[in-house]
Amino acid sequence: MKLIYRLLFVFLPLALILLFALGPYIWGFVSSITPEGEMYVEGLRYFPRNPTGENYARLFVKIDFVDNLADSFLVATFSMLFGLAFSVTASYSFSRFRFRGRRFLLLQFLVINMFPVVLLLIPLFVIFSRLGIMDTYLSLVLAYATFTIPFSTWMMTSFFNAIPYQLDESAMIDGCSRFGALVRVVFPVAMPGIAATGIYIFITAWNEFVFASVLTSRDVRTIPIALQNMVGQYQIAWGLLTAGGVVSAIPVIVLFFFIQKQLIAGMTAGAVKG
Amino acid sequence: MRRTISLTLALLLVVSVVAFATGGQEAQEEQVVRFWYHFDDPETALTPLITKFESENPGISIQAERVPWDAYYQRLLTAVAAGNPPDVAQVKLWWQPQLVELGALLPLDSYIAKWDGRDDVYDRIWELTEYTDGKQYLMPLQMVVLYMYYRVDMFEELGLDIPTTRDEFLDVAKALTRDTDGDGEVDVYGFGIRGARGGHDWWGSFVLSSGAEFFDRFGNIGLTTPEAIAANQWFIDLYREHGVSPPTTPNDGFREIVANMQNGVTAMTIHHIGSARGMHDALGDKISAFPVPMGSDGVWTSFGDEENAVFAATDVPDAAFKWASFLAEAENNALWQESSGQVSINKSNANLPQGDLDRFFKATSDSTPFAGVLPAHPATAEFVEAVWPATMQRAFLGEITSREMMETFAEHFSE
Amino acid sequence: MTTAAPYTFLSPALIVTLLIVFIPIVYTISLSFMNYVIWKPNEIGFIGLRNYIDAWADEVFRISLGNTFVWIIGVIALQLALGFVAALILNQRFPFRGVARALILIPWVTPSVITALMWRWMYDGNMGVINDLLVRSGMLERYVPWLAQSTTALPAIMVALMWQGFPFFAVMILAGLQAIPTELYEVADVDGAGIFQKFFRITLPMISPILFTTILLRTIWVANSLDIIFIMTGGGPGYSSYTLPLYSYIKAYRGLDFGFAGTIAVYLTILLITVVTLYVIRVVRTEDRLR
Repeated sequence: MKLIYRLLFVFLPLALILLFALGPYIWGFVSSITPEGEMYVEGLRYFPRNPTGENYARLFVKIDFVDNLADSFLVATFSMLFGLAFSVTASYSFSRFRFRGRRFLLLQFLVINMFPVVLLLIPLFVIFSRLGIMDTYLSLVLAYATFTIPFSTWMMTSFFNAIPYQLDESAMIDGCSRFGALVRVVFPVAMPGIAATGIYIFITAWNEFVFASVLTSRDVRTIPIALQNMVGQYQIAWGLLTAGGVVSAIPVIVLFFFIQKQLIAGMTAGAVKG
Repeated sequence: MRRTISLTLALLLVVSVVAFATGGQEAQEEQVVRFWYHFDDPETALTPLITKFESENPGISIQAERVPWDAYYQRLLTAVAAGNPPDVAQVKLWWQPQLVELGALLPLDSYIAKWDGRDDVYDRIWELTEYTDGKQYLMPLQMVVLYMYYRVDMFEELGLDIPTTRDEFLDVAKALTRDTDGDGEVDVYGFGIRGARGGHDWWGSFVLSSGAEFFDRFGNIGLTTPEAIAANQWFIDLYREHGVSPPTTPNDGFREIVANMQNGVTAMTIHHIGSARGMHDALGDKISAFPVPMGSDGVWTSFGDEENAVFAATDVPDAAFKWASFLAEAENNALWQESSGQVSINKSNANLPQGDLDRFFKATSDSTPFAGVLPAHPATAEFVEAVWPATMQRAFLGEITSREMMETFAEHFSE
Repeated sequence: MTTAAPYTFLSPALIVTLLIVFIPIVYTISLSFMNYVIWKPNEIGFIGLRNYIDAWADEVFRISLGNTFVWIIGVIALQLALGFVAALILNQRFPFRGVARALILIPWVTPSVITALMWRWMYDGNMGVINDLLVRSGMLERYVPWLAQSTTALPAIMVALMWQGFPFFAVMILAGLQAIPTELYEVADVDGAGIFQKFFRITLPMISPILFTTILLRTIWVANSLDIIFIMTGGGPGYSSYTLPLYSYIKAYRGLDFGFAGTIAVYLTILLITVVTLYVIRVVRTEDRLR
């Protein structure tokens, strides 16, 4: 009975969701190992007659995909650190203090997020050109801060709100300063939330396209730009593109695999006793 | 915590300063020409051409950057708007009006007058690329002319002749549209129409040859005359009434058009020499080409082009022109075409052997005399990129009539 | 506690956003009151509310506005529903749970360029795997040109965006679920509560703050996203998959009409503010109640 229940309510839906999540990739993978000629000429096939690893070889040998991976990794990591560093204290403030202008400030963090990215492009381009930071990691980290800071501030405010206020108070009674309470007591408890927000920033930065296409060119070239580079006016190197997609997803998946243990670890620390 | 934050920041600054410093160091002694281009194949590089140029022109170095096609014009405009465009960039003819009106381009007449290579470029190309103010802003780079691809085997099977007029074309297309495996569903379509962005070339071949013109010789818009609306209706009917184009037509882009041709879903379509290699590799002798058929009022096919423009903001105009003109010289241009798969703009390259693609080069040269371009008007870029596809698709879906479609175009150009 | 403390904690984030967001926004808003077609430099000038009035006479604007509503509500509902189910399942105990949690993220870490092209490829009217599967399983009689019909184009893109976005909901809800003390469930078990009671009495209320914020932020994100639509259909066929950000983008970068593009952007922002206001009020109330 228990088994049937588990089968019906855990394993079956799990399998369906995984299939949905992975289906396009499985199909993309099949396309990526299908020789280009075979793909168009022979129509739909569920497995190529002559599977080939040629696209993956091209990806690494002829196109500097490793450099692109490194650029994306650096940009995403710095964006994450930058975004978190600036928004953690802000969220703490929103969550723990009641002060003049709080609602207004909280709201402005929301409202500025509503402006379409395309219209921030030109002003930012002008500003960054003047500062002489075009085509650097810094330009992307700053550009991504336009959405990561407001976003993380909101996200983490709600995570902090879920943490009982008594926790800070008891820490302060024990002699911690306000900042000490934040670092020693609230942080560890909020870790899953902070990690989730961090992952969000990381992934968003990893995949961001519009800013990267305008603010960087030669020295910094992230994965989405490298992938976009494979789309021509007349031809789409389909096999190459899906190979790139598969490869670019791997580091993030691995990363999350480790971080999600961290998520659980934060919980089992057992601080959420209220 | 504070310390970690400041450490992170410091690290960040150091990294970006280093990245910036290493990026900008070479700029001191020699003249650097920043060049933007787009190639379809990510692996093709300009390296041999750049090496050749730099050894012939000591003191100038080329900083080439391949910009993805989909983002190309947007990036170019952003860079122009921010006052930081490249020195030279590959451009399309239909962008010229906007770029000139923005004051972004440098007139090249005085440079061209002193350049030896002028006479080796086809006169027709100079005519087509000259701007309406009488100045020459563009250095020709490559060209293509659109023609009709067709399936020789299917024509033979049905005993069809190559159509030379619009009416013959319709008959042929209808005959080719059929059910070949007997399941009651049409599985081969006579003519692959590109209904998505870029399909104005297909449309133009039938509508602009049959009474419609963007601007008549008095400068009035000639898109809403009864003949123009009828010609447009005829084109819409290819899809709606006669069904000679696949059901996916409204969203078919270049990739779909070619794939349909290669795997036998369509028997004819329009494109240029750029896809000849792929077609030939996929279909061999089963595919060939002929010039587009005549309309009720002449023949029109699209002249596809690429030019290089020198930007007015450049600090190194002489070096920039040198590079742009270098690429328009026969020997170098032939090298360029090896990467782009298109046609050289030089007369002296006309007789280069083309091997197994001869029939497509012949269709190209047969079509050149009546090849035309879209009007040199600042509204043309938006027409090509957004207005034509959306309006055409609505007409294909029956949401608007032929008249409404042509009136939309007329209005777009009259603003 | 000093009154300066909250502002000290806030200032770094405020200063940065002021510099890199606020200035560009003011610039954009000022453009929306101007005739600012950059290839007509002689006509650039202040025109007050003309753009704002003209927008309502523009058929494309009205179509885009309607589509934007459908888009936001549809995509969020789809992502939330699937994300919630996924989170509940991933919160169960089963072998290789870590692997499953990592795998489910794959759509979300896929760059939009890939997502869009991959789905376009799957939806293909002649060679698409979706058509093939549906026809083989007998659910369809013949191939459907999903992206070429005005009735199916937008829903088809919405499914692609659901695919890309649902893992985000799953992760956020999962993080919320993990923050619920297990004692609460133990107490409920002792009281003999059923599975639905536990869900509605404990799970839902406990994760509601995170749920609200996630929906809110995601709404803004989805409303602004245009890259996938742009690559999959470019807004077509006709205007059937035009949304306001896409229209703004096309006006700005195809027509070079930055004034009107700015106006569309401001309308989008107003729309978003309207849509989320009720929401914010509710969030703020909930949070004050918890204090």
